[in-house]
This record gives sequence, C-alpha cells and structure tokens, in this order.
Amino acid sequence: MSRISPLQNAHNKGLFGDYQEKNEGNLLKIREITDVNIYQVVQYKKSSVATSNIQLGSIKLPANAAEVSVDGQTRVQWFAPRSWIIFSNDNNISSVIENTFNNEDFAVTDVSHSRAIIQIKGEDALNVLKKGCPINFNEFKKNNCVNSVYHGITISVDMIDDSPLTFNLMALRSFSESFHHAITDAALEYGYSGQ
Amino acid sequence: MLEIKCPYCGKRSQNEFAYGGDATVKRPELNKEVPDEEWDTFVYYRKNPRGNHLELWHHISGCRQWFKAKRNTATHEIIDTFELSDDIGDAS
Repeated sequence: MSRISPLQNAHNKGLFGDYQEKNEGNLLKIREITDVNIYQVVQYKKSSVATSNIQLGSIKLPANAAEVSVDGQTRVQWFAPRSWIIFSNDNNISSVIENTFNNEDFAVTDVSHSRAIIQIKGEDALNVLKKGCPINFNEFKKNNCVNSVYHGITISVDMIDDSPLTFNLMALRSFSESFHHAITDAALEYGYSGQ
Repeated sequence: MLEIKCPYCGKRSQNEFAYGGDATVKRPELNKEVPDEEWDTFVYYRKNPRGNHLELWHHISGCRQWFKAKRNTATHEIIDTFELSDDIGDAS
C-alpha cells in the first residue's frame, strides 16, 4: 500500500520569503521527509529485561534523555523512560525489530503513517526553531533529540548534522499542516527554498 | 520563562507541562464497601493550603511521564520534583 504524504497539499517547492539577492546555496532548505519507517517501542513496566544489553542490529538503545543512536539508515531516539522511537529507511527493519523485541517485554507500534517529518537545513535553522520552541538550542549537539512544543504543537526535534545545521522535526500527522505553516512562516524572514 | 525540572528530562519550560491535581489525595481501597461520604471527600474535597503543596504534574509535551512536584502556592516556587514511585511523605 502506498503512503499518502501528510504534507502533499501543503508543502510547495520553490523559493519563498526574503530570498532575493541571496546565494541560493546558503538559503534555508525545507523539505518533507517521506517513506521513513517509524516504530515506537515501549518496555512494559512488568518487564525486567536489561535494555542496556539489547542491540538493534549494531545499535544500542540510548539510555539517557536527549540521546540518539545512529547506524547508517537507522536512528533510535530516546523518547521517554523505557520508550524509544526508531526511524529507518531499511525496509527490513520490521523483521529486525520483531526479532529484537519480544512480545512479552515490549510493545512495538508502527507509527509511520501517523507522523509527519519536516527537515530544515541551513544556518538559519536555529533561528527558525528558536522563534517557536523554548529549548536552549545553543547547547544542542549532533545526534541529540528532544520532545517539546513549537507554537503550541507537540514536536520531536532530532539534530541530524551540525555542518550544515540539519534538524528533523516530527509532529503528529493531524498537526502537520499547522506545523508546516508555523515553520515556513517563521522561515520567511530569512528566505527559504522548499524542496 | 518559568522552568520545571522533569525528573526524567531535566529543566524544561513550563509550557511543556500540565497540572494534574493534588498528589496527596488517596483513592478509597478497591473491592471495599465505601460510604458515600468517603467517595464525596475523595472526589470533591480538596485542601487549599497556603505554602508547600504536593502536586501531580504531567510532562505532556516531553516524555509524557507523570511526576510529583512540591510547590509553594504563595510564591509559586517549585521546591523539588520526584518520580511517582518515590515515597516522600507529606509536603511540609
């Protein structure tokens, strides 16, 4: 079954905002990330399995708040105590997850269809985030993640890279168009390239 | 910006949190005959202290965890926060 992009009616390609007389290569880039497999893994309270010993392929589950473990096509975010979010472009990830997390100790939910991810890339990405989110992004480092709010919309921020600054911003699908509007509206001041 | 220390995530802006009520209220025991008056007290009656108060808070836009916070209702200072499983006695 093919996926319908949450932002297919909202996200436009092209140049927007104050982009004139600026080098297009340095402009903020905004695009929707689609076709990513997203799984939520929660360890049951009754479970006594030590998650520090669990490996998803070659990735260890992050143990502390704000940590992301990365390996090639797969990223695992710390979401909450005993709870993680797995992002992967690997189409075999579901079988890897099934083999890694047993039904008695973990609840695994495929949330790929219920989330929207917007990627913002460029030096102004930090300014766009600071306009609507209360997190201190000056202390944010590559492969850090955080759950927070952006203009009242609950989001998850994942710092993919620090040069150029690249953030993946995930929101619930039902909020995706409002969230896209909030992000692009904040980006108009700097000019952005919709991709 | 008022910050609240989530026991799991650390200090975060208060607009990521939701107030969840008085943390000192005890639900009547399960599978026991409960007089109307006891239910009435459990459901409706709350103390309204001036000073330290133990409250439930929810990090609703963060880690989605419930926790307890000791807050001064006169100064709004949040003195400390605790995991739900922590046995911390009363608020004083």
